[in-house]
Amino acid sequence: MLVTLPYEMPDLVTRAPLDIHCSTVLSEWVDWNGHMNVAFYVAAFDQASGAFMRNMGLGRNYVDNKLGMTFVLETHVTYDREMKGSAPMRFTTQLLDRDAKRVHLFHEMYHGEQGYLAATNEVIVMNIDYASRRSTPWPMQAAERLEAIWDEHKRLPRPANAGRVMGLGKR
Amino acid sequence: MIELDLGAPLDIHRARVLPEWTDWNGHMNVGFYVVAFDKATDTLCNQLGVGWEYTRDKIGMTFVLEAHVTYDREVKEGDPLRITTQILDHDAKRLHYIHMMYHADQGFLAATNELMLMNIDYATRRSAPWPDWAMARIEKLVALHARLPRPPQAGRLIGIKKK
Repeated sequence: MLVTLPYEMPDLVTRAPLDIHCSTVLSEWVDWNGHMNVAFYVAAFDQASGAFMRNMGLGRNYVDNKLGMTFVLETHVTYDREMKGSAPMRFTTQLLDRDAKRVHLFHEMYHGEQGYLAATNEVIVMNIDYASRRSTPWPMQAAERLEAIWDEHKRLPRPANAGRVMGLGKR
Repeated sequence: MIELDLGAPLDIHRARVLPEWTDWNGHMNVGFYVVAFDKATDTLCNQLGVGWEYTRDKIGMTFVLEAHVTYDREVKEGDPLRITTQILDHDAKRLHYIHMMYHADQGFLAATNELMLMNIDYATRRSAPWPDWAMARIEKLVALHARLPRPPQAGRLIGIKKK
């Protein structure tokens, strides 16, 4: 297991939920229905996962130094409201669970000005060894940061949209 | 309308991993798996007569309400993809189905995508019953696909399983 990471760590944010990521709907993300296409919600949420990983100390430097990568294993999105081109997005991220090599995250996407919930994304991200391209425990330094984050996030109530199973819910 | 393909599962969608779909990890990015799957949804909608012309002619649209993706194996730039589609359930205005993405040459399962799709009225931008022509085709496919086993990836709950 890697103990320390050979690059500068960003300041750790333990605020729960994490609320450091914002972005904008790009024009190339809009489809023939005149709104952000389903796939690009996932791309936008993937950047929010990236912000969480950077906070753990596992950003672009982690890959560029050929130490490791993080892979998404599974993702579940609820599309709650449409977003148009150039709409500002604000994300919150709650850590729902973690183990030696995985995190279970819950993102919410809000319209940055109008404030409404646009979508949610529940996701499992796993740590990957760069050389073997197989799963491996978090580097120790990142695991310590993860525990500090967990200490704050574990107090949050579980979001209503977490743990959904898809179905028509026939009455 | 094109002739309805009666294969179960539907097995007509083919694609290739484009260079712009890959990320700094050297494989198709999680968002672009969904781009690839969404194009397979276009193929399905085209079968049902609610594809591009349906929106172009200002009749209606189809919106995804919910999506669940399992990422089972990496695919790289240029890899050929084969995507099959199985209808799981339907009602007056929704369709529940699952896509399976395979490496077209090597045969392995790369990812799955379970989806809930809803029909939308073009003018009101609100949900509306499937048009008659689409419902007739949905019912035909449902009857054929009902014989298929339910894939284990359908109806999954996300979580870290404790050992």
